[in-house]
Amino acid sequence: MELNTASEVISLAKKLEEDGAKLYEDLAQRYIKDRETWLSFAKENRRNVIQIERAYYEVITDAIEGCFSFKINPDEYMLKTKLAENASYSDALNKAARMEEKIIKFYSDAAEQSKSLLADVPRVFMMVARKRDDRRAKLGSLLTKEG
Amino acid sequence: MALLEEPIKKEVLELKNYINGEWVESKSDQILDIVNPATQKTIAKVPMSTRDEVNTAVQAAKEAFPDWRRTTPLSRTRCLFRLKELMEKNFEELSRIQTVEHGKTIDESRGETRRGAEMVEVATGIPSLMMGYNLEDIASGIDEYVIYQPVGVFCHIAPFNFPFMVPLWFSPFALATGNTFVVKPSPRDPISQVKLAELVEEAGFPPGVYNVVHGGANAASILLEHPDIKGVTFVGSTEVGKGVYKKCGETYKRAIVQTSAKNFMVVMPDANIEATIPALMTSFFGNTGQRCLSGANLVIVGEDNAFYNKFLNAFVDTASRIRVGYGLDESTQMGPMQSIDGKQGALGYIEKGIKEGAKLILDGRKPKIIGDYPDTCFLNPTVFEGVTPDMTIGKEEIFGPVASVMRAKDLDEAIGICNASSYGNGDAIFTSSGKSAREFQYRVESGNVGINIGIVAPMAFFPFGGMKDSFFGVLHGQGRDAIRFFTESKVVIQRWL
Repeated sequence: MELNTASEVISLAKKLEEDGAKLYEDLAQRYIKDRETWLSFAKENRRNVIQIERAYYEVITDAIEGCFSFKINPDEYMLKTKLAENASYSDALNKAARMEEKIIKFYSDAAEQSKSLLADVPRVFMMVARKRDDRRAKLGSLLTKEG
Repeated sequence: MALLEEPIKKEVLELKNYINGEWVESKSDQILDIVNPATQKTIAKVPMSTRDEVNTAVQAAKEAFPDWRRTTPLSRTRCLFRLKELMEKNFEELSRIQTVEHGKTIDESRGETRRGAEMVEVATGIPSLMMGYNLEDIASGIDEYVIYQPVGVFCHIAPFNFPFMVPLWFSPFALATGNTFVVKPSPRDPISQVKLAELVEEAGFPPGVYNVVHGGANAASILLEHPDIKGVTFVGSTEVGKGVYKKCGETYKRAIVQTSAKNFMVVMPDANIEATIPALMTSFFGNTGQRCLSGANLVIVGEDNAFYNKFLNAFVDTASRIRVGYGLDESTQMGPMQSIDGKQGALGYIEKGIKEGAKLILDGRKPKIIGDYPDTCFLNPTVFEGVTPDMTIGKEEIFGPVASVMRAKDLDEAIGICNASSYGNGDAIFTSSGKSAREFQYRVESGNVGINIGIVAPMAFFPFGGMKDSFFGVLHGQGRDAIRFFTESKVVIQRWL
């Protein structure tokens, strides 16, 4: 079902961040190598939630188009964050990279759809998308190192 | 379907008055049920307070005034800062309470909570905002200055449509400037005001400074007649508002009386359709059309039938797909009407529209509801085409999710249509032409004007405008106007020999 309201989309953003954080915490448990990187990603995910919620709660007013801002198909962005028991480090890096791509697309799409409406919310979405893009680049370089 | 948790855990709340810092059970035998409009479950009971109880509340406010008036602006501000912090801490609970007592969606309730909190934020600026001004040496050795002082006890008679926010257009400014206050919430949805009073108590406002007394028209009359009430703030219908304003004149009270509306959304051929449609959805159907700033008449300008048809089709198509349901379901875009009476009123207008020859192009009378809820208060978005300004639905306030579509050949005619209305609350133009926007802004007789904005709700640091039959009084609620309304100026000329 398409998501149209700001409330739904914020809830989806929170879920994506939390699911992502859990994957990174799983990686931190399994792979001592780059453990600090995984934990910092998980921590950043949870900070993103705070920033997104703050933007939404501070800008949502009775007058702005909170109920009609979006046309998001959640199925396009759902994450498969479960890692196979015997997944190699490369598998894990690839999974994380694919997850970041989906999340970047979510934030970019959501920001584009609501850009003329909620102002602060699309801005924070784009900020998070940029941070995730940096993260994707970092994952890319880790993958390259891994060979 | 993400259904949020209900905010009220107790079976049925029994609401009390908050008088002189105490929660007092009313002795009245007239008790009304508060019903969740979506589920039709009784969630609270509210007393229609006795005359004595209303008088006791005013007396408490009167007795608290001298000490509160002597409390420094900075100390008063600190109470408001604490209140603001508590509102943030209880933000979600306050919002969900509004959804279950009023019916609005959770986004709308959160918006209302945010707006209410913003009022408190602005009022914390009182140490600066309440400053007077002066001039040395108006004559040699003689200085003159003006100071602003509080007046006494004020009251607010609240509407049902924004049960949490509207009293906050007034009370923080009244309290910040050193006055004391009595709120009479709407008897239809008073729970969020009770919760707010709990936070006021926790924020440490002294007893008697802020009081809540429940009741209906009777309690309102007692407040209007009370000699110790120095000023009244009222939001409601024009019919009742005129009576309130007249009574205030007779009893020498200050008054802010904000009343009904019939707002025009004027769409020019150069409007950005993609951005305009969601803005108009919020305008016409947000809060289920129950707001003084709701769009009522959609005026599509120009003789280009291709544009007219394209725009109207987009409008109707989007309206037809609005998800109507319980506001605690995050996917709901429009909740039920607040009451059966409200729905019956809107249905009556729909019948009139049909009888008077308007074309019903989207019929919301058979509600399509998301989820399994009784349809008692539900009414889906409804659109009429071919409405003229002299039709009943073209000129009277419906206060429901009913849009009337009109045509105007040019901007001049559109402005003429807007100005012919007896109301003047929140008209808007959608255009990419600065010239058209400026012309509209300049000429339209409306206290709040939108340019590419569908709901022209002023921020807390601006006054809430209104003209003609939409407002009675001189100063408005919110912002600097409110500060002047709640204070008296005192001019001092001093000479030291």
